[in-house]
Order: sequence, then structure tokens, then C-alpha cells
Amino acid sequence: MGGHDPFGRLVLAEWTKLRSVPRWMMALAAVVGLTLLVAVFDKASDQGSPAEEGEPLQEPDFSDKFHFVHQPLTGDGSIVAHVVSQEDSHEWAKAGLMVKARLEVGAPYAAVLVTPDHGVRMQWGFEHDVAGSENGAAPRWLRLTRSGDVVTGYESADARNWQQVGEVDLDDLPSTVEVGLFVASPDAVVIKRQYGSNFVNETPTRGEAVFDNVSVEADGSSPSPADGEWSDYDSADEPDFGGSSTESDGVFTVMGSGDIAEVRRPFGDDLVELSLSGAAVGMLAAAALGALFMTAEFKRGMIRTTFAASPGRGRVLAAKAIVLGGATFAAGLVASVIAFLVSEATLRHTSRDPGLPELSLANLTVLRAVVGTAVLIALVAVLSLAVATIVRHTALAIPLVVLPLLVPSLVEGGLPLSVENWLTRLTPAAGFAVQQTITRYDTAIAPLVGLGVLAAYVAVALAVATLLLRRRDA
Amino acid sequence: MPRRAPRLRRAVQAEWTKLRTVPSLPWLLAVAVGLTVLGSAGALASVDTSQCPTPSECFEDTTKLSLTGIWLGQAAVVVLGVLAMGSEYGTGTIGSTLAATPSRRLVLLAKAVAVSAVALVAGVLGVLGSLAAGRAILPGNGFTSANGYEPLSLADGPTLRAAAGTVLYLGLVALLSLGVATAVRDTAGAITGVLLLLYAFPIVAGLVSDPAWQRRLARYGPMEAGLSIQNTTRLDDLPIAPWPGLGVLATYAGVALLSGLLLFQFRDA
Repeated sequence: MGGHDPFGRLVLAEWTKLRSVPRWMMALAAVVGLTLLVAVFDKASDQGSPAEEGEPLQEPDFSDKFHFVHQPLTGDGSIVAHVVSQEDSHEWAKAGLMVKARLEVGAPYAAVLVTPDHGVRMQWGFEHDVAGSENGAAPRWLRLTRSGDVVTGYESADARNWQQVGEVDLDDLPSTVEVGLFVASPDAVVIKRQYGSNFVNETPTRGEAVFDNVSVEADGSSPSPADGEWSDYDSADEPDFGGSSTESDGVFTVMGSGDIAEVRRPFGDDLVELSLSGAAVGMLAAAALGALFMTAEFKRGMIRTTFAASPGRGRVLAAKAIVLGGATFAAGLVASVIAFLVSEATLRHTSRDPGLPELSLANLTVLRAVVGTAVLIALVAVLSLAVATIVRHTALAIPLVVLPLLVPSLVEGGLPLSVENWLTRLTPAAGFAVQQTITRYDTAIAPLVGLGVLAAYVAVALAVATLLLRRRDA
Repeated sequence: MPRRAPRLRRAVQAEWTKLRTVPSLPWLLAVAVGLTVLGSAGALASVDTSQCPTPSECFEDTTKLSLTGIWLGQAAVVVLGVLAMGSEYGTGTIGSTLAATPSRRLVLLAKAVAVSAVALVAGVLGVLGSLAAGRAILPGNGFTSANGYEPLSLADGPTLRAAAGTVLYLGLVALLSLGVATAVRDTAGAITGVLLLLYAFPIVAGLVSDPAWQRRLARYGPMEAGLSIQNTTRLDDLPIAPWPGLGVLATYAGVALLSGLLLFQFRDA
């Protein structure tokens, strides 16, 4: 049997079926055409709102805002403090110890800190973040030592057993650095509902933390409980949220706003996602093709011939899925590459965000989105094939596949954001997440996880379809 | 022509018999009503006044919110409208149909009457169910008289317009689907086409960055324009007023039926 019916020939037979029906090839062309539709629209509406002329505004891509109670430390040494409590002003509010090269925005630093929801962290260079103990919220002992250019962070529950959180080599640290206590609390995204839609705002928050048992110790000298002169430094620029600090009997209460991290742009335009969004329309044609690829066999009774030629029904479905998936992937790739190339520059020029970097297909994140879109279209087609095998009716299969994919994006703005996000996570529409290249306030699910949700739907549908195909009469 | 009326009645009877004896009709009706009511109930359950600055500052259009489920329920009506013609071509019974009623105009007219009647029934049930869900759920989520939200009632003019308009909307969607199916003579193509026509406009409108184009797409997209009828507050801010909006959908349905009829008349079945 295996010799007479190799799987390769089965795949070839299905490919011949697919390419010899003109309507089906038209459906493949429609996948490309419809996906490009939105890209063309964006091109057409170019004159709408051009960004200001001239050089785009270059904003630093990091934020360095916090309140710092500091003193100089010359040579090697360490700082220890007990974080008694931290207000839960933001899940990523920070309270802890810092070594900073200079009191200057952007100057090198290393910090060990506690957060309300993300445990103990060691951070440096605005983009490096090492997790310590998961549930190490305040109260917690923290220690930061400096030895040459190397800064090491420790944490402890009792000031006796210390655990290292992280270690970093900060190049060319000056011999005198500033060490001290700092508090920061990032802006919070606030969503209010009015007039049947969501109004989203970003508002500053103020963090507050209490420290005691603070000691700065230079190597070679005996421990001295904070005998240096403490000064305040505040780099947050929120007039109503200025930081402050008070000290009495060695207990420090520090308040501060801002964030020390890479800039998050929660309202930024995801140009790549926008350029590829036509796939939401193009996948309709892929769904129709997927359904027809199976129902045409049932309708014309062809399925009996097909099964007579190759009795392995699961193998027939697999061959169909491979051919369909391959063909729609190819069409989807053509569409997504062209859509990206056509609309990326236009979108960048008309975007509300100034100074967005130029993006190219060589960028791995962009490539993930572009190729992911082709995978998404292929998965939708195969999902439709499986659903059509289950319900054996084109008219039911197409809406069954298409509606759950479309509805989460249709309710956009009409329902509370949390509900929209759950709709996105739980329905096959999660697959569209693969088009994201930045994290926004309304990001529901990580790109590849989202694609995984869709793939799981496809896998379950294929399994049920195989089972039914074997059990039912053709 | 005095004999015209009985002929039409007989044709409608024939189409009605075909439609009601399809085993999937009760299912489709149930799905249309069920999706509408469930979709509305889900939307209603997810919104409460605590999400607003203050309960009285929600300015929620509770009638429109209660009728949200039509976004889902209409898909079943699309299937119904397309199958009424598409299945005749799929199974080849169109030959017998035309042998029994040679006037193609009459056949299409009879189908239009039968299909829209079923859609209107589904619409009445779905809308009443949705409004009942609204009356049941809204007060619990803070939309009470004390906060300035009167209970939904058909005695209220705008609510009655929204309710009746939504029923008509479903009837027009059924006619649009029938028209497209007659024109393309293919179930899969017609369903995809109608779903595209309904859903692609709002999706594209949500993606296009130019506000002028957004408004244009909202004015002339069959679904968004047609569902303008569901608004009961702030009518001045709508891209298109309620009745003209329903008129846009009616125009789409009319054009689809007319082109369907022309192709039907001049083409071999």
C-alpha cells in the first residue's frame, strides 16, 4: 500500500486539484488583493495629516526620572538599607538602592530595587533587568556593592543570609560615585468610559517608600551608620508630583515619580501592524478557499473517488492541509511583503509620533510580523478546511470561521478594554497578535503566544475533522 | 393584470414551502435570535457605570448597547438569504423552479418576500430578547433611574425607532444577501462577498489614519450606516443620521437585487 500510494503523490494530486480550478486561483489572488487594500488606502489618504516639516523630533529612547537621596562614595564600598514598606502606586513602582556615575540624566547607573508586583530586580543601562526573588516585596533588605567598575546587588529577608541578584560591569565608573536611596513610579494608563467608548489617558503616579537601617560603608573603614551628608536629587518633571524625602531617627520616607527604563510608548503607532492590517480582510478569501477545498469534494461526490484512490482518510486531509497551507502561505507572504513595503514610509510620515525609526525587513521583529502574517493567513485557511470537513457545508463553515476572527476587532472601543482583551485572547483572533511590533496599552497577548492560540484552534479542529472523516460515511 | 396577484401568492407559497422545509431553517432562526440576544447580553454585562468618571457622566446610549448583538446575529441572516438562492444553484433545483414559475421576476420577488419575512421574524424575536436583556441587566450595572437612565421602553420614541429599525435592518441584510447570491450564483462566493461588504468597511475604517476617509467609510458602509438607526442620543454627532443610514443599506440591497434580477433575466439558469 505504502509503495503504491506515497504521500508525496497524494500531495501532488491535491495541488493539481487546487491549481486547476480557476475560481480557487482567483481566491488566492483575492487574498493578495484584499490584504493590499488597506495599504493602498493609507497611501491614498497620504495628504490627510502630514507631520510637520523639517527634522523629526529626536526624543531620547530612555526615561531617567526618579527621586534620589544620595551621598558621594569614593573608591570601593557598599550601601545597605532595609525597605520597610512601599506604596502600591504602580505595578512597576521602584524603591531601592542605586549607584550612579553622575547626577545627570542618562548617566550610567546600577540599581537593586523592590516592586509591588514584580519582586526584587537588579537593573542597569535602562534596558537590562534581572529578576531576583519573585515575591520579594517590601519589607526587604537590599545591598549594593561597588568594586572597581563592578556593581553587585544583593537581597535578604533578614540581613544575615544574602542572595546575589545580579552583577554588572559598568565601564569607566569614576572613582567617586553617588550612592543612595531612590523611589520612582511610572505613569499609569487610566481608562474611562463615556459616550459608549473608552477614553484613555496617561497620568503620573507618585511612589512612596520607607527605608531604615541605611548605611554607607567605604572599604577599609569601619561600618558607619549613614554618617555622610545626604542630599536630594529629583529628575522627574511633573510639577504636581515632585519627589521629596524626610528623615527622622534614621528612618527615611522617600517619594518620587517617573521611571528609569527604556521609554514605553503606550499610545505609539505600531506602523508594522498598521501596514499589515489588511490581512484581516484578505483572510476572508483564504477562509472561503479553505472551506471550498473540502466542500467541493462533498458536493460533487468527488470525495468517494478521492477516498477510493487513497483510502487513508486522515492522509487525504493532511495532504489537503499541506497544499492549502502552502499555497495560502505563499499568497499571504507576497501580500504582506508588498503591503509593508508600500505603506511603511507613508505611515511613518503621517504618524502622530515624531522621529520613528525607519524599519526594514532585515529587522527581526518586522520580519516576525511580516512572515507571521503569512502564517496567520495559512492557519485561517486550514482552520476553514477543518471546520468545513466537520460541518460539510460551505455556507456554515465560512461564517463559523470568519466571525470569531472578526468580532474582537469590530467591538473595538465599544466594550471595556479588559473585555476586548479577553475576547482577543480566547478567540482565534488572538492570531492577529503576531502583527504587533511594540507593546501598547491595549496589547492583549504576546505575538507568538497569540499565533499559538490560533494554531491550537487549528490543531483541535483538524483532530475532530480527522475523527469525523474516519467515522462518517463519505 | 387581475391574475397577477394569485400568481404571486402561489409563487410566494412555493418559496415559503421550500424555505420552511429546509431542515436547517429552524436552526438558522434559532442561531440568529440566539446570537443576537447572547451578544447583546454579553455586551450589557461587560459595561457598568463604575467605568465612568461618575455614574451620571457615562452618557451611555443604553438602547444601542442593548442591541449590540445584531453584529453577530446578522451572520445567520446572511446565510439564510444566500442559501435561499445559492442552494438552488448548488443542487440544480433552479431548473425545476423555473419550469414551475417561468417568470424569473416572480421567482426572485417571491424569494425576497419569503426570506425577508423570516428575517423580520428573527429580528422581532432578537430585538425583543435583547431589550428584555437590557431591562434585566442594565439596572444592576448602575444604569438606574437615579443615575438618569430610564428603563428601556418601546413607548419611548427613539427606542422604538431603534428597535423597529434594527428589525428592518435584518430584513434588508437578508435582501442584500439574496441579491448578491442571485448575481454570483455561488454560495461560497456570495457569503464571502456579503460578509466582506458588511464587515470590511468598519475594519478598514478603523485602520485608515485619515479622519475624512474614516467618516466617509462610516457614512457609506452598509453595516455602519444601517446600524446608525440604533442611536438614540447625540444624533447630531453621527456620521450619518438614523433613517438616511438605513437608506444607505436599502440602496445596497436594492442595487444587489436589481443587478441580481438583471443577470437572472438574461442568463441561462
